[in-house]
Amino acid sequence: MAVATVATSSLHLACSSSAAGESKVLSRRGPCLLAPAPGRASPLKLVSNGSRVSMRIARKGPGVKNSAIATNEASLSEQKSSTLSFGPDVFVLDLAEKLEELDYAPGLNTTAKEVLSRLRERSAEATLSLQWPTNKVEAYRYTDLRFLKNSGVEPASLPSQDSRLELSNFQRTSDENMCMLFADGVVSSSSSSGLKDQAGVFYGGLSSLPEDYVKEYVIPKLGESVDWINGDFFASLNGLGVRELGVIIVPEGVKVQMPLHVLYYSSQGGSEGGEKPVYALSSPRLLVFIGKGAEINIVEEFIGEAGKLYWANAVVEFFIEDEGKVQHNYVQNQARDAVHIKQTCVAQKESSSYELVEAVIGSRLNRHNIHIQQLGPDTTTKMNSFLLAGQSQLQDLHSRLILSHPRGFARQLHKCIVMHSSGHCVFDGNVKVNRYAQQTDAGQLSRSLLLAPRATVSVKPNLQIIADDVKCSHGAAISDLEEDQIFYFQARALTLRQHGAPWCFHLGGSSAAI
Amino acid sequence: MDAMACFQAASAYSTRLAVRPLPLQSSKRSYSLCIRNVAATATQQESSSRDVSPKILLQVQGLTASVADSNTEILKGIDLTIREGEVHAIMGKNGSGKSTFSKVLVGHPDYQVTGGAAIFKGENLLEKEPEERSHAGLFMSFQSPVEVPGVSNMDFLRMSCNARRAAQGQPELGPLEFYGFLSPKLAALNMAPTFLDRNVNEGFSGGEKKRNEILQLAVLEADLAILDEIDSGLDVDALRDVANAVNGLRKSSNAILMITHYQRLLDYIKPDFVHIMEQGQIVKTGDASLAKQLEAGGYQAIRGGD
Repeated sequence: MAVATVATSSLHLACSSSAAGESKVLSRRGPCLLAPAPGRASPLKLVSNGSRVSMRIARKGPGVKNSAIATNEASLSEQKSSTLSFGPDVFVLDLAEKLEELDYAPGLNTTAKEVLSRLRERSAEATLSLQWPTNKVEAYRYTDLRFLKNSGVEPASLPSQDSRLELSNFQRTSDENMCMLFADGVVSSSSSSGLKDQAGVFYGGLSSLPEDYVKEYVIPKLGESVDWINGDFFASLNGLGVRELGVIIVPEGVKVQMPLHVLYYSSQGGSEGGEKPVYALSSPRLLVFIGKGAEINIVEEFIGEAGKLYWANAVVEFFIEDEGKVQHNYVQNQARDAVHIKQTCVAQKESSSYELVEAVIGSRLNRHNIHIQQLGPDTTTKMNSFLLAGQSQLQDLHSRLILSHPRGFARQLHKCIVMHSSGHCVFDGNVKVNRYAQQTDAGQLSRSLLLAPRATVSVKPNLQIIADDVKCSHGAAISDLEEDQIFYFQARALTLRQHGAPWCFHLGGSSAAI
Repeated sequence: MDAMACFQAASAYSTRLAVRPLPLQSSKRSYSLCIRNVAATATQQESSSRDVSPKILLQVQGLTASVADSNTEILKGIDLTIREGEVHAIMGKNGSGKSTFSKVLVGHPDYQVTGGAAIFKGENLLEKEPEERSHAGLFMSFQSPVEVPGVSNMDFLRMSCNARRAAQGQPELGPLEFYGFLSPKLAALNMAPTFLDRNVNEGFSGGEKKRNEILQLAVLEADLAILDEIDSGLDVDALRDVANAVNGLRKSSNAILMITHYQRLLDYIKPDFVHIMEQGQIVKTGDASLAKQLEAGGYQAIRGGD
């Protein structure tokens, strides 16, 4: 574990000191390998026909100690073993190759394709420099991903013209609502607003975004958050498999009254039957810009076809300008066999406000990484999360809030309930108050409730404070129900068995209200 | 004959359960009650008896119970019959088994029933789970109500109310409907609406906890309310509020069993019968004057006059 930490921190240093993406990859390997010659530092160019070759180079790369022995046949097996321990493994490489071959969604113009291919290039480099997370890495210590690696993973295919899901398939939408739909990771063509709105609010796919908007917003910002999240494996994998980009733009000063509903639906997926289960991987990606003084309420909802095995690996990036205000509601209600991994990155400028209310109920394995970066003083950040873990469910939330400017205000409330012996909740909430973040007021509270014998929760609320004039608090409470309480409920006509769900709902509901 | 008559009345509620008659201890009270009932059973055909004579709500016979862990016997054969519309009070020294009796009736897991029978509305009470007893209409106010952090009082009351309604086959109440249902009950107890936003019993004063118990009783609309020392820890005004609220809930079809140490509560809620309990048994039964006698001369006076 110590080694992993050192390697990560050295990566962090390397990233901040070198701007070029390719040297980043190499410096990542720095602690383990001899530094390659500068001339070798550009193999990973992911144009469609050259990519396979460059991948292979990359596969061998980590094992190569110098170019002299690279051609030696006898050293191949040695390379393979060193590949397993240091570099990307075969599973990751195969997956990366599959993702990299994916077509873009139809309707994208040349500029849009260029934008996405740039993101794919960067992500490919990052993915290949990272390893599949195991429980030897601190961030994934309690999150067992082995079953996913032992299963097959196939990228979800582009839905054909006939079977394509449109917004009208979902009853919850009406004409009055603002709504956009990701079907298997691709923005449905019917869900784009275009620019009907005089105010210039846009939501929809990159294919329908005017080119000047692409240049103004998307090109400078897409993937910028990667540097902050320190090369998260799954975020990189998302960037590699991205086929279409969802974009939400609220221009300066526009206050959107109605909530914008973003629905993510997974329809494809394998079944439990065959030799080994196969998960259909989708990589939806959303980019949100909130202009100066603009306001919006975004509701993200993740659902999917029950009984199918699928893996939704989503990334959302928020860029909030000065005095911008975002209310972000996030509902994860995936099918019970699904795997759900999500990265939420938020960049907050001066006096902006970001509020997250999160409810996580579904999926077999849920991992949500939140990263909030403060880019100016006087920001307000609130995070309220509620996670419910039932039978064989793992609900994992990792949040990180970095405060680097004065007078930030932050509140985080994490609540989880584990209802079954085989359920597990994980929480790692980090709040970092840097040197210049004076007069910060940050509070964090985690409350967990265990309702079954052997139900497990692992929580790690943590504060890192460098500034000296701050008000910070954090706390964690883990409790079970006492027999007296259970009897009291029974005497009032309530049972855990029958009324467990509303009971949990009420317990969890308070996290949404605060 | 008396016992048979009582059991006929009890089984008039339900013919599903075969009830084996047990010999009743024939006190004057039960004798007279049963005579009344004989008249009732003689005239009753099917369901027309409701107007003629109050039905038996609860019939307890020879009930014995011990602490589940230590097998110490606490209840040593209790007999009690409660009919619709009646108010009973149980008094007795500390440790005489009053609270244990009420807890056994609602199915507290700390106690084990070792013998006897308890029939509630014609059904065997002792076979039911605590929540089923509550669904059937039995309510006990706790002497020291439990704090439930994280659950708001409003939600708790609504869940509780809807659970009972669901058991009775009635539709559930939505939040707004429920607020309308709750408001008058809240006003009757002189309780501020802010009370509903707080977590169940968390940080409540003694008086607030007792008021909350009565509010729950009102919401659950129980047929038999067992009020275990509802007067303890209450100031004069609070006692009056609570007692008035309880009186407001009285109907010809429900009944109250109070456990108390003091006459004061009985001044507000007039009992039809007062039972004196000693060493796990009801040793004396009388009317309200018995409580006054007790207040004046203590338990010694009762025993002396026995």
